[in-house]
Amino acid sequence: MDEIIVTINGSQLRGSEGMTILEVAQENGIDIPTLCYKTELKPIGACRICVVEVEGSRTLVGSCHTPIAQGMVIHTHSPKVLETRKTIVELLLASHPDSCIICDKGNMCELRKIAADMEVALPPFKVRKRYYPIEDTSPYIVRDLSKCILCRRCVRSCSEIAEKNVFAVAYRGFKSKVVVDFDEPIDKEVCRDCDVCTRFCPTGALSKPREVGEEKKGEALFISG
Amino acid sequence: MPQKLIVLRNCGVINPKDITTYLDRDGFKAFKKAIDELTCEQVTEEIKASGLRGRGGAGFPCGLKWDLARKAQGDEKYVICNADEGEVGTFKDRYILERDPFTLIEAMAIAGYAIGAKKGYIYLRAEYHHLDLLTDAIKQTREKGFLEHFDINIREGAGSYVCGEETALMDSIEGKRGEARYKPPFPPSRGLWEKPTIINNVETLMNIPQIILNGAHWFNQIGTDQSKGTKVFSVSGDVKKPGVYELELGSRLKELVEDLALAEKVKMVQVGGATGKIIPYEMIDTPLAFESILGAGAVTVFDETRDIVDVVYRSMEFLAEESCGKCAPCREGTEVIVEILERFCRGEGLEEDIEVLQRLASAMMLSSLCGLGQAAPIPVIDSLQYFRSAYENRIQKN
Repeated sequence: MDEIIVTINGSQLRGSEGMTILEVAQENGIDIPTLCYKTELKPIGACRICVVEVEGSRTLVGSCHTPIAQGMVIHTHSPKVLETRKTIVELLLASHPDSCIICDKGNMCELRKIAADMEVALPPFKVRKRYYPIEDTSPYIVRDLSKCILCRRCVRSCSEIAEKNVFAVAYRGFKSKVVVDFDEPIDKEVCRDCDVCTRFCPTGALSKPREVGEEKKGEALFISG
Repeated sequence: MPQKLIVLRNCGVINPKDITTYLDRDGFKAFKKAIDELTCEQVTEEIKASGLRGRGGAGFPCGLKWDLARKAQGDEKYVICNADEGEVGTFKDRYILERDPFTLIEAMAIAGYAIGAKKGYIYLRAEYHHLDLLTDAIKQTREKGFLEHFDINIREGAGSYVCGEETALMDSIEGKRGEARYKPPFPPSRGLWEKPTIINNVETLMNIPQIILNGAHWFNQIGTDQSKGTKVFSVSGDVKKPGVYELELGSRLKELVEDLALAEKVKMVQVGGATGKIIPYEMIDTPLAFESILGAGAVTVFDETRDIVDVVYRSMEFLAEESCGKCAPCREGTEVIVEILERFCRGEGLEEDIEVLQRLASAMMLSSLCGLGQAAPIPVIDSLQYFRSAYENRIQKN
């Protein structure tokens, strides 16, 4: 396989044909934040958090899907890149509910982690939030689409790994939404307990239902007073 | 400068329902010349030498695109004609399709020969559903034996703006949700159904037969340094004579807007549709060319009675509605901009809003996945540059 030499942040690095910018960066310990990208899934370039500057390119390019080319000169943390990434995180946070402190995924949330890493605080602009009813009728999965950031990892993992194609994207623009069937609440008829998508969700949008604890199975106690 | 007709040369002259009238106007001579006298490579070289660039707005060199597709390995290849014409204020392709469908078919057959494709698609805008004459024209051409090795199918869109973007268009033909794909891979190497594909605007293709017949040198003499040939413009808005005009590239915006379309008291002109650049009247002498401004040829004129913030707000509202929702900057960014502009329209803008608009615009232009998100903030940026006071006057005082 042909060897390709690229320059990332001033250092000459080697990669082979077909590798993406992100793969070469990761192999060399350069940290590029990602949200919609997962090694197990095909890239789609939707979140745009992983954008980098390639000299000669009019726009920034998504590093998760752009293959390296001979002699490419790449900057992964230039001021332009950082400013753009920061604005994208702010945009995602602006429409995200402010319920982190009571969210079960609070400390595991990838959006929150990226925001913390990039020192993004409250966005300087407001936008309406998407509030959807919580779907908790399925015994296997709870969906709270208000917390969905439309990274489509659930759509792709369900299709590519579980091979079920339970999810799809419907509607356009700001109103686009990950749906089941013709936008029905998820229930046990369409989805079994494979648990693939819940593990891929970066936020609290998909989770497993909480197990009812033993304590609730006991008899009611009446305390006379 | 008077109009110069290359693309529109048959419009209104031939009968679009009768192929014999087209044959009398040198119809299919270019096609015969291509297959009888030229190799595939010579055809692409001729187009390359002509300097023809894509008329859909991006201005990519047409010959280079064809050459890449010709060289690409693939058991099957496709030619797509983009007749989605979704850009706000463009109607030139409809005008052409209604009057001269045969030149387009001939051009697609030449393209098929040049890259080695056996199948072509015309992706027709849903609203142009009434154009039965296109199906009829393909049938007549087939009967005359010009489509023996290459067949053309019509695919109708479902009314999405973003499906005019080449990769979303291909998704739509494949029967998927129309959303932009990332590039590379580019369509000439992996396009429709992952096969090498060329995708050209109606108007780009309309130039092909004349270039093959008259030679690249003839075409190369017309236009400016980097913009060869003519351009068909759709002029609308505050003008006395709206319509379709074909001018040599490099003509001044003033000639088109004031001399031909008879506009008066012009405040600004938006060139290129909803995502087009805004040209204030002081710059009306700007030449129309790829080097300066062009887009897909939509020219919308606004006179002094129009309110710039309202115009930009409506453009953004449209773009937010039409964003496919795949990539974050466009999906979220257009919505935030709409909400801010709506505040300005009510006279309730905030001091910090202008800076926020500029930040959002820059992030969207740099990081969006496709041309829609990358170009969406252009009217905002331009209006802030030329008509900043219109915004400042609407900032809430206390």
